[in-house]
Amino acid sequence: MKKKRFTFMMMLLVVLTIVVTACSTKSQSDDHKEEKTDLLQDIKEGGTIKIGLMGTYQPYNFLNENKEMDGYDVDVAKELANRMGVEVEFVAQEFSGMIAGLQTEKFDAVISQMTITDERKEQMDFTEPYIKNNVKVIVQEDNTSITSKEDFVGKEIGVGLGTNDETYLRTVVLPEVGEFNIRTYDDVITTLKDLDAGRIDATINNLYAIKPVIEKNGYKIKAVGDAIKSDFAGVAIRKGNETLLKELDKHLAEMKEDGTLSEIHVKWFGEEPQF
Amino acid sequence: MDLVWSNMPFLLKGAYYTLLITIVSMFFGSIIAVFVAIARLKGNWLIRWIARAYVSIIRGTPTLVQIIIVYYGLVDYGLKLEPLMAAYIALSISIGAYLSETLRGAIQAIPKGQYEAAYASGMTPFQTMTRIILPQAIRIAIPPAGNTFIGMLKETSLVSVITVTELLRQAQLLIAQYYVYMPFYLAIAVMYWIMSTVFAILLERLEKRLSKYE
Repeated sequence: MKKKRFTFMMMLLVVLTIVVTACSTKSQSDDHKEEKTDLLQDIKEGGTIKIGLMGTYQPYNFLNENKEMDGYDVDVAKELANRMGVEVEFVAQEFSGMIAGLQTEKFDAVISQMTITDERKEQMDFTEPYIKNNVKVIVQEDNTSITSKEDFVGKEIGVGLGTNDETYLRTVVLPEVGEFNIRTYDDVITTLKDLDAGRIDATINNLYAIKPVIEKNGYKIKAVGDAIKSDFAGVAIRKGNETLLKELDKHLAEMKEDGTLSEIHVKWFGEEPQF
Repeated sequence: MDLVWSNMPFLLKGAYYTLLITIVSMFFGSIIAVFVAIARLKGNWLIRWIARAYVSIIRGTPTLVQIIIVYYGLVDYGLKLEPLMAAYIALSISIGAYLSETLRGAIQAIPKGQYEAAYASGMTPFQTMTRIILPQAIRIAIPPAGNTFIGMLKETSLVSVITVTELLRQAQLLIAQYYVYMPFYLAIAVMYWIMSTVFAILLERLEKRLSKYE
């Protein structure tokens, strides 16, 4: 009996060692594959560009009544694809797996309110910004105790998993303001639902995102205080595809010049873009 | 790799919640299983039907859907549960359905002679069940039940969607921070495996102890 257990433990140890060594060798290999063919060319030849987005983030990217992807991001994507002369195919992806999806070529670009941050720039390339978001604190309608991020101390704060808001809360607000509990959700809808239900005390997001849920779902939430930060979101693509990046930037610049971007912005948010 | 080691306390906290949820769900699930199994065997028409419906619905729907309904869906009807509580309830109900079938099979495997001898000695049905039948049935039920328990250990990863910071969620949080995937996912796979193996060893011991008198 003792011998059997000993052998078993040894086997466990051996397997563990193998896994550990395999782990360390893999993490040393570089992620960046050299694209043998040009991605931009592939897209133009194939006639479709695959865009990854959440599909659960009103009014930026969501499914409308006709079960089609709709929203600011979607309109921007369609316009870009149009100018490139290709069709657009949308791939729904939870935000926490968005970067992984991009790197594993599940899609060619991400147009899903992905904020441009320095850490992300190490993993992928961004175009120039296509939107500016002002992030505010959001609480329940009848909450008067939280008016700014300083009031987060000791509370439950919800945020999306893997978003730069989560990083912001953990690395900037937490040390600055004091201890509070961060609860992570897979998408905005569940975050706001839990806020409405009172299971979290506050979340941070921008005004545009809460208007539709207040209007359609009747959530009793409101934004308080001034904007705590402004984010710029860009189109994200894998590193090593400069031609695609240039092409996207060119069309974005054109859209800003001839007023198309303005048009889309006003259509969804009722105001001109401020950048 | 050093990333994994330096964040090991964080991951171990997740493992703690995984074990906690597993054990609590196992406990309450077992209690539910005993009642449901006996209900299906010895109840009247209505009780039997309710038990059958329960087993059918819970086995027939994905556990993830059940968890989401308990946490998010019930809010619409006014029932708001904290994540951990919702996890306990959803998983106990889920495991109860599967275990009840295992237990029912085990009870049915006990020869009729046992019942007859017990009644002949003057025991009531309740005494028969608790003193004679169930102890023997539990021994028969351990291998399949062990399966269910070890499965449940890994099913706890589903409650990550209702913000419970169990092992999988902890890994996801670290990945969002460090942007590397394989080291963390491999690490938690190994941790799940270690926990499952320990469970399996404990269950083996339990079975040996219960078969002492065979």
